[in-house]
This record gives sequence, structure tokens and C-alpha cells, in this order.
Amino acid sequence: MPFRKLNNVQMDILKETSNIGMGHAATALSQMIGQPVRLRVPHVTITEISQVPEYLGGAEKMMVGITLQVLGDARGSIMLLFPQESAHRLICNLIGDQGMTLIMNEVTISTLKEVGNILASAYLSALGNMLHKTLIPSVPLLAYDMAGAVVDYVLIDLSKSSDLAMLVETDFIGESPSDLAIKGHFFLIPDPSTLDMFLCVAGESQ
Amino acid sequence: MSEQVSIAEARIERAPTVLKAYGLGSCVAVGLYDPETRLGGMGHMLLPNRPSNSPLGSESKYVDAGIYQIVDELVRAGANRKTLVAKITGGANMFETSYQTLINSVGARNAKSARRTLGDLDIQIVGEEVGGNRGRTVEFDLATGKMLVYCAHTKEPLSL
Repeated sequence: MPFRKLNNVQMDILKETSNIGMGHAATALSQMIGQPVRLRVPHVTITEISQVPEYLGGAEKMMVGITLQVLGDARGSIMLLFPQESAHRLICNLIGDQGMTLIMNEVTISTLKEVGNILASAYLSALGNMLHKTLIPSVPLLAYDMAGAVVDYVLIDLSKSSDLAMLVETDFIGESPSDLAIKGHFFLIPDPSTLDMFLCVAGESQ
Repeated sequence: MSEQVSIAEARIERAPTVLKAYGLGSCVAVGLYDPETRLGGMGHMLLPNRPSNSPLGSESKYVDAGIYQIVDELVRAGANRKTLVAKITGGANMFETSYQTLINSVGARNAKSARRTLGDLDIQIVGEEVGGNRGRTVEFDLATGKMLVYCAHTKEPLSL
């Protein structure tokens, strides 16, 4: 299905499923870091593939990206992005003070991957329950680099079948004063064929 | 003056323009330059090979078709086909991986496709900085034909 043909109802279905999935993930995250985590209402963006890095705040912005494949009854990818300051705060919250800046070592990498794993699993299990499908996350992979470089690998997959990318994006924000908050973007990038199934099943259950 | 080359784009310009591509991961940037006329072009390409059934107009998404497109446009703009030289960068594998088969390093295949296509066209590759697991930002200066490659984790750019 070409992404541009999605109608408002279908967009709402995607938003709502993402909202529920992310709600579970946010609960998991807030339990991990011991503080409330707020969600911004998810938005579904359909955009030219070439515009995605701009959309993330610029291709050169330093980000930690954690990606997982969705396996099982549906296919797609999940990409979690943390701006470097947020990744740093997240790590400090989880494993104690880590100095002034983000340093990548075995412990920090593994911590961030585990965060990705927990969030993705919570999200996929909520989504799977709703759709009566089995959705399994793969092993998480991590990159710490420029935003453009981190996301182009997902875009490459998408660009095989389309010039457009559909991103279901949810932002989450920690409760502390805004400049110290932990911010992140969560993207679900379904394969075009999976999207059909998604909308079909979710539409019926409404 | 500088011009951005976004993902899946290819463009040609003449000196003194600087062509820039930001945040290359597995994508490759191929710069082509004619030192005599100081005409040059750069593509920011995602996929190694253009399938025969792909729609027209999507050439710059593919390394092979994108290179042909740039060469065509350069020659039409007055560049000398015989003196064209090429520089390649990008083609990283950003995510260290334990399931190679799923990813099968598209970055490496992109770089390979660029070398093969340039070889077929008999265009000499005079600079190359590809592979690894780092993102790159590229500046291709058409006044000099120099390509600067910036990485996030190193201070000094590499000059090709």
C-alpha cells in the first residue's frame, strides 16, 4: 500500500495503537528510572525519505540510536533515538554518576541496549495483544553518531519499496525541570506489507 | 556558496560551490570532478543497484544509476568526460551486528557498486574513505576538487 493513501481513520488507528504500546513502554521506563515519564500524543508522519534527518532535528545532531527488528507475525523496525544529553542523564539515573559527558563503554552501551530492549518489548507485547499477533523484538543494536548516519540504515530498508517513509513517533519526557528532562523519540517503521495487515486487524477490532 | 545534497539526491554545480552531504551512514557519497572546467557533481545514494523495474526519476537513489546520471549531466554542462575523476566516501556499517545476514552490510555493497560502476565508465578513483562504523559529513569543494570528510568522533577532517 502506498503510504500516501492512508485516510484519517487509518492514521487514527495507527496513532491509537502506538499510544497504547508506548503507554506500556513508558510505565516500564518510569519504573526503571524511578520518576514519572510523560508521553506526548503520538503522531504519524509520512514524509519523503530525504527529509527524515531534518525532521529529527538535523543530520549532524549527535544521537544514540538503538534499533531492533520486529520479528514474528509482522515485520518492521523499531528505532529509539536519544539525544546525547538525554542518553547521558538516562545512564546516570540507572547506574549512578558517570561524569560530565556521555562516554561509551561496555557498561553504558549494554545499559542503553537494555533500555531499548525493555521499551521495545513492552511496546510490542501491548501491540501484539491488541492485534492478536505475536511480535518479537530481535537483539538490539546500538550506534552513537550523527542522526543522519544512525537513521539511514532504516531508510535504506524502506527505500527499496518506497520513496516515502512512514514514522509513528512518540516522544517521552522525564518529569524533571525541562532542561534536565530525558527526551527520546520512538519510531515504529512497519514494512509496507505489514502495514496492510496492521490496519486490517486494528480496523476490525474497533 | 554551499549546496546541500540530501539523501537520494544528486546534483551538479560549478566552482566555487561547495557541495555538502550531512550524516552519511551506510549511504555513499560519490563526487565527480572535472579539473579543467571545474564542474563537479555529487550524489548521496542509498542502495547499490537500480532494479530494472524501478520507476524513472528515482535514479539518484541508486549508486550505479546515480553515477551515470551525474556523468551525463556533467558532460551536458560542458565537462570533459575524459578528465573526470571520482572520490568516494561513506558506506559504513553503523550498527555492530550479531546478525549479519539480516543487514548484510548494505554500506559495503554500496561502496562496491560505486567502484564497479566507475570502473565500467573508466573513471579514475582518486580518493576513497569508506567502511568502518562511523558517520561522515562530506564537503566537496568545486574550486579545488578537494573533498573533506568529517567524523563525529574525531576533530580534524580528512582531506581526499
